Amino acid sequence: MGILAEEYLSFKKVLQQKGIIFSFSGYVSEGILFALGDALKQKMALEETDLNTTRKVFSVFVEQVQNIIRYSADRVSGDIGKPVELSSGMIAVGQENGKFFVVCANMVKQADMERLKERLEHIKSLDREGIKAFYKEKLREDPEIESKGASIGLIEIARRASDPIEFDFMTVADGHAFFCLKAFI
Amino acid sequence: MQTISIAASERSPEVDFNFAEGVLKLKGESYPEDVASFYGPILGALDKWLPTLEASAVVRLDIELVYFNSSSAKALMNLLLLLEKAGAAGKTVVVNWYFNSDDDTMQEFGEDFSEDLDHVQFNLCAVEGV
Repeated sequence: MGILAEEYLSFKKVLQQKGIIFSFSGYVSEGILFALGDALKQKMALEETDLNTTRKVFSVFVEQVQNIIRYSADRVSGDIGKPVELSSGMIAVGQENGKFFVVCANMVKQADMERLKERLEHIKSLDREGIKAFYKEKLREDPEIESKGASIGLIEIARRASDPIEFDFMTVADGHAFFCLKAFI
Repeated sequence: MQTISIAASERSPEVDFNFAEGVLKLKGESYPEDVASFYGPILGALDKWLPTLEASAVVRLDIELVYFNSSSAKALMNLLLLLEKAGAAGKTVVVNWYFNSDDDTMQEFGEDFSEDLDHVQFNLCAVEGV
């Protein structure tokens, strides 16, 4: 066994130990969101996963990936004959103790961290009825007030999740923090 | 006003707004790349058309969506609020919300959307599973 295979096999094993079925790390676009989402639905259909579960996993997946696309602080943009903007992040879908989970992670600006943390803590503090009421409130809110629909996407994730959402931040260098959000379905 | 007819794509719904008949339809999945550019013109047309209707007019919207993301949900709410406004102005507005009978999420969304709409006849229509 060569070094190359050994290295990547151990990487694969780390993912497997975490129950990860598939994962992506790097620059994400709407096209990647669609392709990964399609593969996810097909995989779940092949395993004859309950339809309601598949729908919920897919919904959480879409909101999580769109959060990376919209809010990752690690992004590149330019013109290659057409305007292109790519956001970097990590996406993982897996199973743990018989439940599916979707984890997304991306860099956020240290300055935005507190506000995001407050939003997430508030959502996490709500029970089912509270989440539902908060969703309805945000649905009717003037879109001008809300930045690109951030909160409602996070509420949607919490609503589809079977357990309270888990999140974490780790401050890294140069005014950025690494943000992770995990939802079980 | 001319009918708006847009074929469904893999991530945007079929749109069939037949203004002459007063029958509007959205069908399929909705998580377009750019929600504003997809729903903006549709909402704009509706907002122009509704005030031109006579008081006796009947408007029907059939929603047959199997999935929509949170940004689309906001666009749908804005669409329903336009209809609510028309209903409050005396027009008869009927919304038929179709969902698969085994789809808890779409049923719950239908219930959410119907609440607080006082001038729209909102029908939750369970369809037997496909």
